[in-house]
Amino acid sequence: MTAIVTGCSDIQREPGKVYMPDMGYSRAYETYAMTEEQKAELLKKGIHFSNTPVPGTIKRDELLPFLIGKDGAGDSANYVASKAVKNPLSSMDTVEAERLYLVNCGICHGPKLDGNGPLYRGGDGPFPAKPATLVGDAKYEAMPEGQMFYSATYGKNKMGSYASQLNTKQRWMVIAYIKSKQAAGKSSPAAAATTDSTAAKK
Amino acid sequence: MTNHRPIGMKLLFSIPLLTLVLLGNTLFAQDGKALFQSNCASCHNPFKVITGPALQGVTQRVPDKQLLHDWIHNNQKVLASGNPYFTSLFNQFSKTPMNVFPNLTDKDIDAILTYVETAKPPTSTPGDGTPNPQTPESDNTLLYGILTLILAVIMLILLQVNSSLKKLADDKDGIPAAEPIPFWRNKVYITFIVLILFVLGGFWVVEGAIGLGRQQGYQPVQPIFYSHKVHAGINQISCLYCHSNAMDSKHATVPPLNVCMNCHAAINDYSHGPKLYREDGTEVDGTAEIQKLYSYTGYDPKTSRYDPANAKPVEWIKIHNLPDHVFFSHAQHTKAGKVQCQTCHGPIQEMNEVKQFAPLSMGWCINCHRTTKVNFPDSAGNNGNKFYNIYERFHKDLKTGKMDSVTVENIGGTECQKCHY
Ligand code: HEC
Ligand code: HEC
Ligand code: HEC
Ligand code: HEC
Ligand code: HEC
Ligand code: HEC
Ligand code: HEC
Repeated sequence: MTAIVTGCSDIQREPGKVYMPDMGYSRAYETYAMTEEQKAELLKKGIHFSNTPVPGTIKRDELLPFLIGKDGAGDSANYVASKAVKNPLSSMDTVEAERLYLVNCGICHGPKLDGNGPLYRGGDGPFPAKPATLVGDAKYEAMPEGQMFYSATYGKNKMGSYASQLNTKQRWMVIAYIKSKQAAGKSSPAAAATTDSTAAKK
Repeated sequence: MTNHRPIGMKLLFSIPLLTLVLLGNTLFAQDGKALFQSNCASCHNPFKVITGPALQGVTQRVPDKQLLHDWIHNNQKVLASGNPYFTSLFNQFSKTPMNVFPNLTDKDIDAILTYVETAKPPTSTPGDGTPNPQTPESDNTLLYGILTLILAVIMLILLQVNSSLKKLADDKDGIPAAEPIPFWRNKVYITFIVLILFVLGGFWVVEGAIGLGRQQGYQPVQPIFYSHKVHAGINQISCLYCHSNAMDSKHATVPPLNVCMNCHAAINDYSHGPKLYREDGTEVDGTAEIQKLYSYTGYDPKTSRYDPANAKPVEWIKIHNLPDHVFFSHAQHTKAGKVQCQTCHGPIQEMNEVKQFAPLSMGWCINCHRTTKVNFPDSAGNNGNKFYNIYERFHKDLKTGKMDSVTVENIGGTECQKCHY
């Protein structure tokens, strides 16, 4: 009887059969879909998951890498050194930068950059640490873009690293977006509009 | 009578006084909260260890008020003085430095400490939710099958009765009955049954053959009960936060565990959402599932440190799978085509366990390509995708009104080689 019931229930836990497994499931490596043999092969080489690019190579259309490394525990020399780094982008697509910010940062720092995103909600949300108030807090308004980039690249305390979700160029775009919002918050709206439109012109 | 007046007066006077005191109190607490949130909350939570210790109860741990104030004003000085309690605390937190706050007055610090000591944990409403949303629906086919069987038996009995009655009547009339043909030799019956079997059998074979390799509705048990409803639904995390490749590459990919840890290094329990149930109705302990995540990453929430030796990959089970002879790219659809994830994957943000929503059959792809318009410049002033400037004839036809819109089929989206290598 249980066999009949489970047979008839509409939860489908098995993928079903295919005509020719070697056509249905790729023989070439596909992201996270591996055959047993492929998995054994990779594990032999000590590779658990996705392969990282060969050291020293740069992807097409990618910026030069950020040369400052990550600080060791209890050290902040590199964090301080990063203040001197300047944004290499001279222009950018502001609409895209805003999209990247909203997808990756807005969830904590808030769509209005007030440090009160849906995960924090003034302390009632599930995320226990207060995200930085990027607009409206003198400390972060004065923070140089290089240091912000450092924090977005390597993380800061309970904020993680965004280097795997955003490439170097995208991270600079997001930082430039934050800086432009900080400038807009301080100066008159008219001035903000002009900076925005010049940036959008590309 | 007159005796009562002073009391009345006193009462009258005391009301504003009382409200003042009460207001003052709340103002004070509010102040403490605001100060705490702007200065300390990025590293401290009253109830949870995050970057720094959970602060509630600190006035008992450090009874010396002056020392506590000194620490908050300038912890470097206290550490330099070699205070054993704070030195061991500093080492316990992997020498993470706390900021110095020379600008906070003693009153500010008192306000912060009062707030911290009196704060109540956010009333987490685990909410019973819907108690058992997915009781396995009893399928009606079984019932119908039994009913049909009973009806068939009744029909047979009736037929039998009918023929016996006819025989009786014939006997009475004295007509010599023809030797009755048993039903298994009756040609009418036989052709009938063969026909039915042929049609049903053919139908099943074709259905089964088409269904081979299709897996609509596939919903495997994943190694971690990771709920899209909790993340993308209740907590509004964008799909692209995790599936960031969907915009730029063929595959949307499942996020690596460091992405999970961006949030879960701090969120170590499940206390804000509704109760979770598996498809078969058993309850899930969200906190235990987050612990599983820690054991995969080799993370120790007590020391906030990773041990790479304990880390191992999560073997997520791939659900959507196109055969190897089909080329499908997410970027083409999400970035160029601006198709929403939900169009193809269904209401993922409401699923606790991901279920394949679309059949992923060739007909499904083609149907959409026939009916979906591509982003050409239109009369509404939309400039469209510049890539399509090369389709000069369509632009002309659009201008002259010969065509009113361009579908994916028009630009070649139904040609075999676009999808088949
Ligand atoms: C999971 C929540 C979360 C997300 C998502 C997040 N942050 Fe943060 N962020 C924090 C927290 C918490 C802090 C405070 C860290 C501290 O000072 O201890 C912070 C601090 C910062 C700071 C100040 C760092 C410093 O050096 O003091 C910057 C700059 C910043 N975030 C930028 C970003 C950017 C850019 C993104 C998107 C790519 C982002 N954050 C996404 C939680 C988050
Ligand atoms: C940059 C992160 C950070 C900020 C901001 C911060 N703290 Fe801390 N705090 C820590 C850390 C880390 C420790 C643990 C000791 C150490 O490693 O220095 C600590 C320890 C403490 C302690 C001792 C706790 C105990 O259990 O004995 C107190 C009290 C304290 N902090 C109060 C505050 C107050 C009040 C503020 C805001 C005015 C504040 N902290 C802001 C990181 C921070
Ligand atoms: C917090 C990270 C996260 C977010 C946000 C997220 N996903 Fe996922 N997604 C995952 C993980 C992890 C898996 C693999 C486990 C599983 O299948 O449940 C997955 C699996 C999937 C799958 C099935 C993949 C397969 O194996 O075929 C689809 C489809 C999907 N997600 C779509 C979405 C959509 C659409 C959204 C936005 C509404 C979304 N995801 C938001 C992490 C996330
Ligand atoms: C036009 C339909 C369509 C749209 C739109 C779409 N997907 Fe997919 N998705 C598919 C198909 C088909 C597959 C199977 C791909 C394969 O097996 O090669 C798939 C597979 C996946 C997978 C499994 C892993 C992989 O990449 O193969 C994830 C995760 C996923 N989609 C997430 C998303 C997210 C997130 C979005 C929105 C940004 C999205 N999809 C939009 C059709 C679509
Ligand atoms: C942007 C932040 C964020 C990211 C990234 C994230 N989570 Fe979560 N996760 C949450 C929040 C918020 C909750 C709900 C906590 C609560 O309600 O108390 C949660 C709850 C959970 C739970 C318990 C509820 C359930 O779904 O069973 C699990 C397990 C979980 N997450 C696993 C994961 C995994 C695995 C990943 C990586 C693919 C991930 N999370 C990535 C924010 C995040
Ligand atoms: C929900 C609608 C929808 C579904 C379902 C769909 N597509 Fe598409 N597809 C589109 C749109 C829209 C475009 C055009 C994008 C553009 O503007 O270039 C497109 C374009 C394409 C292209 C590029 C065509 C060209 O001319 O360059 C390929 C290849 C493709 N789809 C493959 C598939 C496959 C394979 C499937 C089934 C697994 C599928 N699509 C399912 C909407 C869909
Ligand atoms: C929009 C993309 C698309 C186009 C265009 C397309 N196919 Fe397919 N085709 C598919 C997909 C997806 C499958 C896999 C169906 C499955 O797994 O059931 C498929 C499967 C097949 C199969 C295997 C039988 C099956 O159903 O599994 C054959 C044969 C085939 N296609 C022939 C063709 C021919 C011939 C053309 C040109 C007239 C063509 N296809 C054009 C997407 C496409």
